[in-house]
Amino acid sequence: MQNNINKSDKVNTPYEIARNCRHYAMCKIDFLGSGVCESGLKKHFVSFYPQGRMILYEAISENRVPVTEKCVEIADSCNLCGKCDYQCYFLNEMRPTKVMEALKNHVDTFIKNGGKVKLANDDRLLTEIKKIVGENWASNDEAITITYSHDLSPISEPKIPDCVVMPYTKTEISSLVKLFNKNKITYTIRGNGQNLLGFAVNEGVIIDLNRMKTIEFDEKNWCVKIGPGVAAFDLQKQAQKRGYRINASEPAALVCANIMCSGIMSTFSTTYGINADNFIDAEFVDKDGSLFSLNDPSSPNLYSYKNLEHKNSPGICVSASIKLHPVIDDERGILVPFQALSKAIDFIRDCSIRHIGLALGVVGAEYISTFLSPTKKSASEIKDIFIDKLDIPYLVVVIGDKYAIRSIDEMGYPYFDQRLFSVLYLGLQSLKSAEWMGLIKELSDDEPYSYLRIKSFPDLLETALSPSPVLYSKEIDPDLRPFFEKLFSSQEMTDLVWLSMYRIMSTRLGRKKPFLPVLIYLPIDNILINELNDKFRLIADKYHVDNDFGFITPIDNGKRCIFEYDYFFDYNDPEEIRRIRLAGTEANILVDKYSIKTGTVKGHQYVLYQGFCRKENLLYS
Amino acid sequence: MPLQNKPTTTLTGATGFLGSHLMASLLSEGYEIIVLGRSNKEETLKERIFKLLRWFGIEELAIQLELIEIDFLKPSLGLQESEYRELCAKTKQIIHCASDTSFSERKRENVLISNVGSLKGILDLAIDSKTDFFHYISTAYVAGKSVTVCKEYLSSSNDFVNVYEESKAQAENIIAQFCEKNSIPFTIIRPSIVYGDSRTGRSLKFNALYFPIQSVKYIREIYVNDIIKNGGKKSKQFGIFLDDEGYLFLPLRIYLPNKGALNIIPVDYFTNATMKIISKGSSGGIYHLTNNSSARLDIIAVYNEKFMKLKGVEIIYGAPADNLLRNPAEELFDRFMEPYRFYLSDNRVFDRTNTDIVTDNLHPPEFTYEIFKNCMEYAISVNWGQSIF
Repeated sequence: MQNNINKSDKVNTPYEIARNCRHYAMCKIDFLGSGVCESGLKKHFVSFYPQGRMILYEAISENRVPVTEKCVEIADSCNLCGKCDYQCYFLNEMRPTKVMEALKNHVDTFIKNGGKVKLANDDRLLTEIKKIVGENWASNDEAITITYSHDLSPISEPKIPDCVVMPYTKTEISSLVKLFNKNKITYTIRGNGQNLLGFAVNEGVIIDLNRMKTIEFDEKNWCVKIGPGVAAFDLQKQAQKRGYRINASEPAALVCANIMCSGIMSTFSTTYGINADNFIDAEFVDKDGSLFSLNDPSSPNLYSYKNLEHKNSPGICVSASIKLHPVIDDERGILVPFQALSKAIDFIRDCSIRHIGLALGVVGAEYISTFLSPTKKSASEIKDIFIDKLDIPYLVVVIGDKYAIRSIDEMGYPYFDQRLFSVLYLGLQSLKSAEWMGLIKELSDDEPYSYLRIKSFPDLLETALSPSPVLYSKEIDPDLRPFFEKLFSSQEMTDLVWLSMYRIMSTRLGRKKPFLPVLIYLPIDNILINELNDKFRLIADKYHVDNDFGFITPIDNGKRCIFEYDYFFDYNDPEEIRRIRLAGTEANILVDKYSIKTGTVKGHQYVLYQGFCRKENLLYS
Repeated sequence: MPLQNKPTTTLTGATGFLGSHLMASLLSEGYEIIVLGRSNKEETLKERIFKLLRWFGIEELAIQLELIEIDFLKPSLGLQESEYRELCAKTKQIIHCASDTSFSERKRENVLISNVGSLKGILDLAIDSKTDFFHYISTAYVAGKSVTVCKEYLSSSNDFVNVYEESKAQAENIIAQFCEKNSIPFTIIRPSIVYGDSRTGRSLKFNALYFPIQSVKYIREIYVNDIIKNGGKKSKQFGIFLDDEGYLFLPLRIYLPNKGALNIIPVDYFTNATMKIISKGSSGGIYHLTNNSSARLDIIAVYNEKFMKLKGVEIIYGAPADNLLRNPAEELFDRFMEPYRFYLSDNRVFDRTNTDIVTDNLHPPEFTYEIFKNCMEYAISVNWGQSIF
């Protein structure tokens, strides 16, 4: 009776949408200003967010989960407001509302047809847990636990925990740890499940930290103390309101978990740094359930780094004091185009050594076209235009104050300024049919991108592309267009500074297919980077894995950089998963070899659980 | 069928504009041709050549062709010894037409390698094959920019408009010295700027004459589109409008350093004259394939106004004032035109004494509106070369 959902439905059917959920947790943050799923905000379990319902619906469709008490509650709690359609379409071109509707219908039909709703049994342990966190904040209901079975990793198999608990205070966490130790229960900490190595899923108990969202600014000391449930986007928003900025990674990543797992890195890491550069102090509950803070002289030394795989977490981070950075009035963003990766690398090295720019990053045509385009189809067309017609395979994003931009002017690099970027962005649709693009390449014959030096080029481009939110949205599903037209009328959506701070576009990178990034730290050495770039590509090609250059960001005054190369895969295709595992493993072996050979290359995979380390220990020891 | 008295001709540059037209003419006259060339990223040499044969409508003459993939920069042109020996044995005359035609200073190194550095391989072939004749396709613009009368002599200039001219002048001197030293009969053929077929307008390349026209066409389209689709808000700012007769008024002041004209010849004239030189030219002969009635830009502008339903183009001689405000179209067009500016106001006169003797006073036609129209209509029909094949 419950398996009455047709699994052979085509793409865009509820089942296909559900199984293609990227699990990025972006539906848990209000990144479009359209609001967040109300039931999620109220109930906190991921199960009550669109992402959870997608996972639940997929499991129900595959007969892996029965209709349970919580399943009914989860289905009922959705009011079909459609907010998730805006969010998910923006990122992945998907419409989760169809899934929400299908889930509701399924449960309704099940009940109408006299189906027996399965009740979860409180066992002794769950009862003990509930005594600590309260009745509503722990569950072993299958409809809840199934929604914690995924993270972003292609390496790990989904695992269904026995129970999920959502503590509210560090004292509760301490009590939980003691309880689990006493009963020899395995537990795993989970932020928003953004781990790429499969460490956010486990059997046993999942401790979901999403209720711990305190944010306390200490402006005198340029820091903000946050609970472990605070997402980067929300913190950045609060910081911006007060005139500050934090160094933030992926917008939906919980900041404390992010520091713990990988250390914070972004294009702003050029000036704000990585790892221990980003916080002042942090508090932990250790394995015995005792509290310690990093600033305590007797605390474990989490500032150290070993270039080895660490499987054990130093404890549960229950708060962190994150550094606040000043925002300058005249900050702006520019995009500097390059015909070759080596030239782009030379440029960012030069800038970072000279302390020019707040944020720097080399991105490829894949990134830029995916970030800017409203749909997959459009992204593919725009990528071709960037490479073939504009001759821009690489761009350097620079965020800087007026003096930094003036320096780049003096360095003699032509660039797309904020106005040109906005024109190009909102005029993308016209770009596709612009016959005159061929001439642009001709103009670059003597000096690449010399057209950018033509004073009135922005005027002409504006005339030629007729950029507008309406034009930009014309490929979007008609019923969503009014929302997107309004969204793209806001200045933020085309503001390079805002986009770099909030990074909401980066999740679009997984729109075509989810991806596995290969991340390394290494010197800004053209030969070395190009060699590794080629080798990562060859490995991927060998296993027939889609792949592309990711990004490079200089760190530590240009002495080192972070380099990402991306492998794309379909996680619903077992064969692709097999191949990406092989490719990923071989890439990691390659990084290890280079690490030994050069003494300077460090693979990011070893940073797991060492994210609180000093960057000097990571980069130079 | 190949004619018995036609020497087997080894041709380079057959995938280029001039080389392909020469190949077609030679094949049509019954020559057996050995094409030396290279594959590119997208196509093999064979695919490139057969595509051209189809375009010329002479696929049936492929039987007279032999294609050899070579590398000019390698010893024996990168061929195995036996292959090279066989090539030498077959070659009776060489036409060296391969060239990098880029004007870009940024590409100086590549241009010099292609046009000068690679000569050794082809000149070695000339010796090793004991070729009866070596013909070099050069350019009329080797005399330097300060010369007023360009003679049919070797150039000793060192003030060139661009690296292309410089490389061709160097190549001519190297070839002449080498051939004289080794007693190889040779000619140097110097065409000016070549456009499409004067009778049909067909062409394979759309730079030089075409590029400024293409630029104006695209600029026109941008503003017409703005006027029709967006009410012309942007256009109005710059005094651009569509008049009642459908003409676009586009203020476009084109500054040229001085009065002069563009020396252009049609490709059909180039092939006819070159074929005469190949069969009748004397050793050491230098031949200018140029037009005694050059095309003035103001005339071309009038043609273009008529052709594109455009008004407002103004040719101004002299330098623009430093504080001159230019509209976006003017600024963009100015940038497009930059590499060609010197040629558009060229005052150099080309001596044709040798050419007139050998070609029996064969002259290129005057550049009329009909020719202009045919050429531009063809260019547009093939989207300026984008959809030619």
